[in-house]
Amino acid sequence: MFDVSQGAKTLIEVRGLKMYFPIYAGVFRRHVGDVKAVDDVSFDIYEGETLGLVGESGCGKSTCGRAILRLYDITAGSITINGREIGKESQAGLRKLRPTMQMVFQDPQASLNPRMTLEGIIGEPLLEHTDMDRTQRRARVHELMDAVGLNRRFSNRYPHEFSGGQRQRIGIARALALNPKFIVCDEPIAALDVSIQAQVVNLLEDLQKQFGLTYLFISHDLSMVRHIADRVAVMYLGKVVELSARESLYNEPLHPYTKALLSAVPEPDPDLEAAERVILQGDVPSPANPPAGCNFCTRCPAVMEICHREDPAFREVLPGRFVACHHYNDMNVSNETADETGS
Amino acid sequence: MTDTSEITEEKARSQWADVWSQFRSHRGAMIGASFFIFICLLVIFGPMLWPIEPNFIDIRAKNQGPSLAHPFGTDQLGRDTFAQVLAGGRVSLLVGVTAMGLALFLGTFIGVLAGYFKRLDSPLMRLTDLFLALPILPLLLVIIMLFRDTLRAAFGPETGIFLLVVFVIGITSWMHTARIVRGDVLSLKEQEFVLAARSIGTPSHRMILRHILPNVMSPIMVSATLGIATAIITESAISFLGLGFPSDFPTWGRLLSDSTNFMTLNPERVIWPGLAISLTVLSVNYIGDGLRDALDPRIRGR
Repeated sequence: MFDVSQGAKTLIEVRGLKMYFPIYAGVFRRHVGDVKAVDDVSFDIYEGETLGLVGESGCGKSTCGRAILRLYDITAGSITINGREIGKESQAGLRKLRPTMQMVFQDPQASLNPRMTLEGIIGEPLLEHTDMDRTQRRARVHELMDAVGLNRRFSNRYPHEFSGGQRQRIGIARALALNPKFIVCDEPIAALDVSIQAQVVNLLEDLQKQFGLTYLFISHDLSMVRHIADRVAVMYLGKVVELSARESLYNEPLHPYTKALLSAVPEPDPDLEAAERVILQGDVPSPANPPAGCNFCTRCPAVMEICHREDPAFREVLPGRFVACHHYNDMNVSNETADETGS
Repeated sequence: MTDTSEITEEKARSQWADVWSQFRSHRGAMIGASFFIFICLLVIFGPMLWPIEPNFIDIRAKNQGPSLAHPFGTDQLGRDTFAQVLAGGRVSLLVGVTAMGLALFLGTFIGVLAGYFKRLDSPLMRLTDLFLALPILPLLLVIIMLFRDTLRAAFGPETGIFLLVVFVIGITSWMHTARIVRGDVLSLKEQEFVLAARSIGTPSHRMILRHILPNVMSPIMVSATLGIATAIITESAISFLGLGFPSDFPTWGRLLSDSTNFMTLNPERVIWPGLAISLTVLSVNYIGDGLRDALDPRIRGR
């Protein structure tokens, strides 16, 4: 497994990422507010690791992943990939950088053009970014199909002729076509049934070893994230509330939200039935109108008075463990200031 | 997947061979296509083979019913209706197909632009609304009055009026296509495969050509087939008003409108051109139906 010790090179550096979607209302389509899908998120992804990004539906996981790839024009913040700042790059300028960063999508059916053959779909990145001729392209497509375990005979078929798991392999092959360094996996297993989930996750792990890939693995399946991720970030209402190495996060969660989230994971052993399930009351507040202070203060079981007033900073409270919670205000690693978080 | 010993690639299927085989399996489309080709051949080569000129006046044989010499009968001036239907079909079909092509091109172009580029959506759709709200007949009158003589002088009387009629029909019938296409593009644009293409870095124009256009083929096909019918009928309306082709120049629409006065005397004069229009439109509809199915890989092979 990946070693999170300090020698690892940072591949992706996200600082203060904000992605707001404006809300227009009224006759004159006035700008009345923003949906704060991603609100001031900072973290690093080291080369060769898998960073799991978990959270409940609608907390901004997918938006965060897409914003990092600059599929959206972000509201604020900086994204550095491989030492290059892309936060403010134009879409035309990003085109040259696309080969280093790719994406695997959630819905394998919707993410493949129904009117293109497999060869066309997997070959599209090659067509856009390389000057291979038809035969070279076909050879590369076959290579990729081998890599993801698809039979070469299928290269002239259309996506609707495949099962869900096979379609997801097509999506993975397309993402791999240009030898990327970094792949955002946006809930790649959510639409698959359990036996196929395992196949796809194992395939992703094998490919990671084979090609030295770095993943941002977005999921709401906590057990699967525990299996694949090296470090895990937990998101709530547009913010990362906790980020730490996998084992420490799962064994000893710090943030009350993480505790509640982990206590919801079903325990397969009936003798070990966890007695202390934390059941959250109420609903997630609207990201268009988040509460004052800590975003989690409306539902937190351990809420304090300060939580309603002040937004907790996202700080490193133990080596390699970041959390945004007032409960850990007195803990601090070597007087680091808040704005150096994540490094 | 299970058969791993088989490493030879499935025989590369040519897409057009697939399309053709699916098209052939659509019975209505095959009948429609044969009939359409038959009509086309008839109107192209018919006037060369049929001995009677469409404008030859034999006043003694006026208002006759069907006979061996005149299978479709004759009109009030003794002109042979069969020869006129053949000659008129040339113009009507040509006008129908060309005007439909122009309307389709305009409609698709505007629809795709409006649907894909958010910035253009509102101005282009208001333009479409404007065209829909324009009273077409006065507009036609004005356009034809303004440009008829210029075009006649430039291209000769028949070509000039042909270009004018095609242009006028084309620019007054693209709006429905544009609206349908825009709606489809709007929903397609949010599909994940478009996002996937964007994450690859596909630029907008190739995105439209590769991902958007092939997926809006079905509504385009449908409006194309309906468009031919509308174009033929609009042309007859223009001719009926005396604004289209000259009065001695037969088209299906003109034959139809000329015959309405004589409907009680010999009704078959209305029936023949009417039948020609209806059957052509019907066959084109079936062709469009078959093409739409054949171009969709999800339906193909079922």
